[in-house]
Amino acid sequence: MPAPDPASAPSLSREAPGNGNASPFRPRLFRIASYRDETPDVRTFRLERADGGGPLRWRPGQFVHVSVFGAGEAVFTLASSPSRGETVECTVRAVGKVTEALRGLGEGDVVGVRGPYGTAFPVDEWRGSDLAFVGGGIGMAALRAPLQWVLDHREEYGEIVVLNGARTVADLAYKDEMGEWGAVPATRVVRTVDPGGESPGWDGEVGLLPQVFERLALAPQGRIVVTCGPPVMLHYMFLALGRMGYAPERVVTTLENKMKCGLGLCGRCNVGRFFVCTDGPVVTWARLQGLPEDL
Amino acid sequence: MSTAFDRNGSWSLDAADLRAWIGGLVGSGARVVAPAEREGLWTFRPLRSGEELALPAGFPAWSPKEFLFPRTETLFRYESSGGEPGLEDPVREDVPQVLFGLAPCDAAGLVRLDAVLGADPAYASRRALTTVVTLACDAARPECFCTTVGGSPHGEEGGDLLLVPSDGAFLLRPLTRKGTELAAGASASWAPATAEAWERARARLREVAEAVGRSPLAHGFAEGLERRFGSRAWQQVGRRCLGCSICTYVCPSCSCFDIQDEGSPGCGRRCRIWDSCTFGLFTLHASGHNPRPNQAARYRQRVLHKFSSYPLEHGGVPMCVGCGRCVRLCPAGLDVRETVERVLAEGKEPRHAGP
Amino acid sequence: MNGTLLEIGPPAAREERSGFEPVVVAIVCNWCTYAGADMAGTTRRAYPPNVRLLRVPCTGRVSPLQVLKAFEQGADGVLVSGCHPGDCHYVHGNLVARRRLAILRALLDFVGLDARRFHVSWVSASEGVRWARVVETVTRAVREAGPLDAWSPRDGEEPVRLPEPPPAPSPPASPEEQEAVGRNLRSLAASLLGEGRVTVFLGYGEATLPGRAVPLLATDLAEASALVWNDRCHSNLAVYLAGPNRVPGKVAVVLKACDARAVIGLQQEGQLRREDLVLVGVRCPGVREEDGRLALKCHACDGEVAAGCDFTVSADGVETGAARSAAPRAVAPDPRDAAIAFLEGLPPARRWAFWREQFDRCLRCYACRAVCPLCYCGTCISEHHRPQWIPASIGPRGNASWNAIRAYHLAGRCAGCDECTRACPARLRLDLLNRRLALEVERRFGYRAGEDPSAAPPLAAFRPEDPQEFVHA
Repeated sequence: MPAPDPASAPSLSREAPGNGNASPFRPRLFRIASYRDETPDVRTFRLERADGGGPLRWRPGQFVHVSVFGAGEAVFTLASSPSRGETVECTVRAVGKVTEALRGLGEGDVVGVRGPYGTAFPVDEWRGSDLAFVGGGIGMAALRAPLQWVLDHREEYGEIVVLNGARTVADLAYKDEMGEWGAVPATRVVRTVDPGGESPGWDGEVGLLPQVFERLALAPQGRIVVTCGPPVMLHYMFLALGRMGYAPERVVTTLENKMKCGLGLCGRCNVGRFFVCTDGPVVTWARLQGLPEDL
Repeated sequence: MSTAFDRNGSWSLDAADLRAWIGGLVGSGARVVAPAEREGLWTFRPLRSGEELALPAGFPAWSPKEFLFPRTETLFRYESSGGEPGLEDPVREDVPQVLFGLAPCDAAGLVRLDAVLGADPAYASRRALTTVVTLACDAARPECFCTTVGGSPHGEEGGDLLLVPSDGAFLLRPLTRKGTELAAGASASWAPATAEAWERARARLREVAEAVGRSPLAHGFAEGLERRFGSRAWQQVGRRCLGCSICTYVCPSCSCFDIQDEGSPGCGRRCRIWDSCTFGLFTLHASGHNPRPNQAARYRQRVLHKFSSYPLEHGGVPMCVGCGRCVRLCPAGLDVRETVERVLAEGKEPRHAGP
Repeated sequence: MNGTLLEIGPPAAREERSGFEPVVVAIVCNWCTYAGADMAGTTRRAYPPNVRLLRVPCTGRVSPLQVLKAFEQGADGVLVSGCHPGDCHYVHGNLVARRRLAILRALLDFVGLDARRFHVSWVSASEGVRWARVVETVTRAVREAGPLDAWSPRDGEEPVRLPEPPPAPSPPASPEEQEAVGRNLRSLAASLLGEGRVTVFLGYGEATLPGRAVPLLATDLAEASALVWNDRCHSNLAVYLAGPNRVPGKVAVVLKACDARAVIGLQQEGQLRREDLVLVGVRCPGVREEDGRLALKCHACDGEVAAGCDFTVSADGVETGAARSAAPRAVAPDPRDAAIAFLEGLPPARRWAFWREQFDRCLRCYACRAVCPLCYCGTCISEHHRPQWIPASIGPRGNASWNAIRAYHLAGRCAGCDECTRACPARLRLDLLNRRLALEVERRFGYRAGEDPSAAPPLAAFRPEDPQEFVHA
């Protein structure tokens, strides 16, 4: 391996995928405790352990495979921080076979969960830094766990800016929570929608996310940018960050490759020497630049 | 590769000895898998008796990996009739098995699989119960290139016993404790191999090794290929690729898989199924985005994984054993040796370009 | 229907049952047979309880996938029933269905799921009595056929061996002749590329392995100088003209007689622009296997260049247009037909044994699809997962469904180039499936694929007088 970057340093815990002879692919059973609709096609599920086993232990940024039996498994970044208790939250957009089947389930229904897998955001190393979380669309779901973590350890971090963007006002996730985030001291929440996506009475920003971020003119000194969104948004986001003088080592993202096993075995998420499921999904922009353009 | 033959503790056997030995193993309840022919197609099949052992045998169309890594494997069953889902582990039907008559490339292929799938309990359990009898090659096929990727037509890697053709009969030598144990029950009736017989066999093996194609895969290809990720040659070669998965499914060392549920929401199974990086669906996101949007990009991934990214991470060992099956069977006539040569012939190109 | 509507139960459990009670899935039209079955019920007409009804809006909506899914999930027999011809609620859905079901029936029968297991009937809303009689007949037939519980080869089962094909009716072309054709191709390629009439000349080049030829996509004179012609030029290069492997630009393509039928099929289906293509017909001496035997598809083919080609290349030179030779190659009966006749002479159970063993070998590498010019779909039915019609798992049932649906989808379209069979690493006799259905289409509808780019595809059309001898009267 090349020199490990902070985001994938082995000091971050990776729970052993299985125990003893049990199949590492056998999920634990969780129950849907509740759910909340974020947008017309995005829903946040709260999951509780249903098979009598202990709670899930994870770090912000890690992901799980969620099973709907008969439909299959899909990968979701855990959208809640372990600092908020043992209940697991996943924010899911219905785009495929499993996610649509998941949408068809209700409170009390049982799903499978295996994981957590992958690297976590290096929240310990961020201590003392200013932070900017820039999430586009469903990409914000991947940033919610580290955001909750730093808000729950507010005194350890510097200024926090959250830029939450979506195509339209209706597509903006976590509308109800943004007020709560902004109420935390020295925390600023900026909402933005793409041009044409605003509705009457919209009082947030209008503009493509990278442009809005550039307009905020946050000084790169002492700041870490944490960003996630669709490939085209990330492309322009990195261009903007480069113009603004951010060092690639101080920009962290999380990759959304197709994954099946989560264990570095099935080969699906392999890019060059990198396996997204075990070497990622959390990576620095610097590490990303060293990977073949196959993502 | 070690070619030093130990003349002590080796035997000389004829076909009847081999058949009697295999008959005994089958009788003891072991699954003995060996090359078998049907309608001109050679594949590895379980034998029902020692008499079914084909000698000489053809080179099987695909590797014996399916006996350790089945084409489809149930991971668990689920059932939720009338209530909460219950999960049930599959019943392990693992029996002691002997993979018999593997060419050294196929035996080495199992070691490559071990490196990836060894951590999987189902694979590991079958692997622990498996004994491998390697049969040294007495001829080289035009597509062979084992010697270029660290192997040899009489290579010992992955084998527990080595069987060497010798004047119409065979010399047999254990390579591991497992191999010694497999022979233990039958070896009392076998004649010890003579030094002269080994001498003659060794001379022949050297000739075969010489006949194996000198592949253009040059030393240091892994770094060279990585630097040429963006080479135009990938597009020029890869556009011929038609996107089937013959190369990966017949390959001794390819191990990618898919995971699927089969059945209804109430009752069914989750299984893992062979899959291939050459399929467009392999990397297609639910959103419709595909990071490898064309066949040339997928073909590049396969070649680079085998000859560049894997060896660079694993002490220079390529994820290829040079059996040449992909060369022989590719319907578009793609030859991985030629591909690597052609890409390496290109000047260094930027890594962020290409198909 | 996503595998949940047919809750027949796990096949393993059914194998344990003592007395055999056949499971029959009846796919019935909402407007007639469904009401007819209802009528049978309300008039207390007794009939066997073995039938599970699946209601569809019209038999025209019935997909062979539903039939295959029923068998895959444990049905011993399937009945499709709809309105009498002329009575379709949607005017002629049942007439289109009649063609498709005839072909599906031929396919199922050929693999050994014989006429006792797959039935078609016309039953109207008022024909409760008739419905009861059809169900009785069907159930009796399925009971006679027995449980459909063997999908893998049985241990110790005697394999079915096909007869040896006859010797080739014509000798191989001499190396000099083949080289002369190659020379003429090179010179044509040089002029087409040199004059800028095409951007790619798609032909054959030497393979890295001896005695083989591979596709060569020549874009300049240097590459064109590597073009060859010999009796190992197997690939059907039409595969590079449409679908995911389409070569962009203005393309000249070298075509054997069989390959040209695929081009006509693609043109017929609107998959290529004829004006972007230069069709280079080669007078073909027949292609030969590694062991020197003439390919089976070539025995009955005279190798003449197909009508519509822009050039005819032979050892004698290059002619404009499709030119016939003075002495066409000698032909003989198609040996594939002899193999088909042999299989059809076997009891259905032995045919099923033959195909079970074949399908069991299938690795699901999809090389058959990849090399097929007519398999151009962006998303193959095997890749659809909502519903998952074809099980993704590599196993007997999914393999049978996959190979059956591919053959069905090629019925009336297959060019007969047999590339699927050549490419198959497990050597499945896909040529026999495709050829059997081609013969059925020809016999029933008087249609041969790959001859007329303006003809209507036979399975999207119908005639009121199409034969329906297989429909329960």
